[in-house]
Amino acid sequence: MQNKTRKGAVEKLATGIRGFDEVLEGGVPKGRSTLITGASGTGKTVILNEFLYRGIIQFKENGVYVTFEEDKKDIIKNVKNFGWNYNALIAQKKLTFVDAGALKGVIFESGTNYDFSPLIERVKYALKKVKAKRLVMDSIDSLFSRFQNKDAIRQALYQIVAELKDLGVTALLTGEKVGEEKGLTRYGVEEFVADGAIELELIKGQQQFLRRMFVVKFRGIGFRSGIVEFEITDQGLVVYPKIPIERIVAKTDFKIRKAFGIKGLDEILGGGIPLGHMVLISGNTGTGKTMFGMHFLTQGMREGENAVFLALEEPVEQVKKTALVHGWDFNRSEKEGKIRFVSTSLIDIANDKLLYQIVSAVECINAKRVVVDSISTLMSATMNQEQVRQFLVQLVAYFKRKGVTCVMNYLSPVSFGAVRGQLLSSLMTNEIRLSSMTDGIIMLLFVERDQKIKKLLSVLKMRGSEHATEIFSFEIEKGGIKMGEKYKE
Amino acid sequence: MLSRKAITEVKKIVSEDLKDNCRLKIVDLLLNPEEAERYNIMVTPALIRTHPKPEKKIIGDLSNKEDLLTGLDLTPRQ
Repeated sequence: MQNKTRKGAVEKLATGIRGFDEVLEGGVPKGRSTLITGASGTGKTVILNEFLYRGIIQFKENGVYVTFEEDKKDIIKNVKNFGWNYNALIAQKKLTFVDAGALKGVIFESGTNYDFSPLIERVKYALKKVKAKRLVMDSIDSLFSRFQNKDAIRQALYQIVAELKDLGVTALLTGEKVGEEKGLTRYGVEEFVADGAIELELIKGQQQFLRRMFVVKFRGIGFRSGIVEFEITDQGLVVYPKIPIERIVAKTDFKIRKAFGIKGLDEILGGGIPLGHMVLISGNTGTGKTMFGMHFLTQGMREGENAVFLALEEPVEQVKKTALVHGWDFNRSEKEGKIRFVSTSLIDIANDKLLYQIVSAVECINAKRVVVDSISTLMSATMNQEQVRQFLVQLVAYFKRKGVTCVMNYLSPVSFGAVRGQLLSSLMTNEIRLSSMTDGIIMLLFVERDQKIKKLLSVLKMRGSEHATEIFSFEIEKGGIKMGEKYKE
Repeated sequence: MLSRKAITEVKKIVSEDLKDNCRLKIVDLLLNPEEAERYNIMVTPALIRTHPKPEKKIIGDLSNKEDLLTGLDLTPRQ
C-alpha cells in the first residue's frame, strides 16, 4: 500500500497487523497516539499486544506496555496463546512494562492534592530503558476509576502524550466505549490525547459473533472508510480490508473472448465472454447453472488459464464428484495448482473474510477465470442484502482490475416459461440491484412441450457486444452440455 | 510543596500516634523511578506501609487525618 505523500501530511507507521495497515492506508499516525475504543471483550487488548509484538519482531521497534488493568504476569501468560514470548523480549531489553495493574491493592486517599509525576517518570524511564518507538496503554478508564482527582489524571495523560510526541513514539491507548455515540469514551479523553480513534464491536449473528472495526476519525489523515470485519486467530488479529472501488482500472477487452468450450454456445456469445466481464447465469434449480460454470473453468484450464471456484451451493467434494462424472478431474487440476476451491460456512457468512479468501486464491495462482456458485446462496446465508451488494461491487471491481473473467450463478425463482410471453418475465436481479454491475446475463428456463420438460437458454444482455437474440434449447448429457436447435413454438 | 506538607503530617503521626515505634524512609521518586516501579507508585505524595503486611498505600497531601489513620489501619478499635 502506498502512502500519499501530501506536503505536511502525517506519516504513517505500519503496525504489522495483517490487513489492519491496509484499512489504515499504511498504518497509524506516526509519533501520535491513537485511541482504540469498544466495549469489553471486543479485542482491544489483543490489538495492543500485537502492535507491540509486530513492532519488535518485524520492524525492530522496541515497545513499552503501560498497564493499569491486568498485571504484567497475566499479560505475559495471555500472549503465550498466540505463541509470543514476552519473557524473552524483556530479557533482550526490547520490551518493558510499566506495571500498574489494578490488582496491586487498594489505594487510600487522604486529601485529593496529588499529582502523577511518578507515573510520568516511570513511563519516561521505561521509554529510555528500551529506546522505545512504540507504547501501549491499557486502559484509560481503569486509571480514571481508581483515582478521585480526575483533573490530575487528565493532566498526566496530557503530559505523557506530549512526551511521546516529543520522542516520536507511536502509541495506542484503550478506552471503554459508553453509549451509542461513535468513539466516545466515558471520560471524553480522546478529545485531548488522541489524534485518531478506532472503534471495535462485537455483533451477534444468528449463530456466531462477528467482530468488526471502523475508523472513527483521523485528524487530517487518510484512511479507508467503512466497517471492516476482523478475526482473532491463534496467531493474532486478521483484518479483512474492503477493496477500494474508487481506484478501478478496468482491464476489459471486447476483442478477447473467453470461451465456454460448449459448441454452439460460444458462437451465440460471439466467441465467449469478453475479457474482464462478469456474466450472470440465471435459472432455477436443475437448469444446469453449475455445469456451465464447470465448462467455463475447464475450457480456461485447457487454454492455460487458472481458475477459482467459489463453492457455496454444494460441498466442494460434491462439486468434484459431479465434475468427475463428466470427465473433468478437478482433484488433479487442484494438485497441479490450476484450480482453487473457496468455500465457507453458510451461517452468518463474513463477507469481508470471504472476499479476502477469494482475492487470496486468485492472487495465489494468478487465476483468470472465476465461478461464483452462487450469489443466491450468499444472499440467503448472509445477514443482510446490502452487504451482499457491497461484496459483489468490490469483487467485480477487483476482477476488472485484474482482468479476471467471471461467471456468477443466480438462482432465479422464474422457472417455467410455458406460456407465450412469459419466457422473459421478471428476472429478479433488481432485488439486489445487480444489473449495473452485470455485463451480461444468460437466462436458463424450463419449458413444457409434448409432455416433456425442455431446457432453454437465451442471452438477455451482453454489454458492448453482438450476440444472438434467439432462444436455444440445450441438454445436459454425460460429458457436459449439448446445445440444440433454435427453439420454435 | 505537597510532599513537604505530607511529610509534616506523617511525622506528626509517627511521633504522636506511633510514639516513634517505626522506621520512616523518605524517597524522591522523581530521582528514583525504579523505586516507583518497584512499589507501583503512580502519584505523589504517597505513603506506603510496608510492614506489617499487607502493604497499605495512602496518597494525597495526607491532610485528612481520619482517612490517613483508616488507610494505615490505625483506627482505635471500638
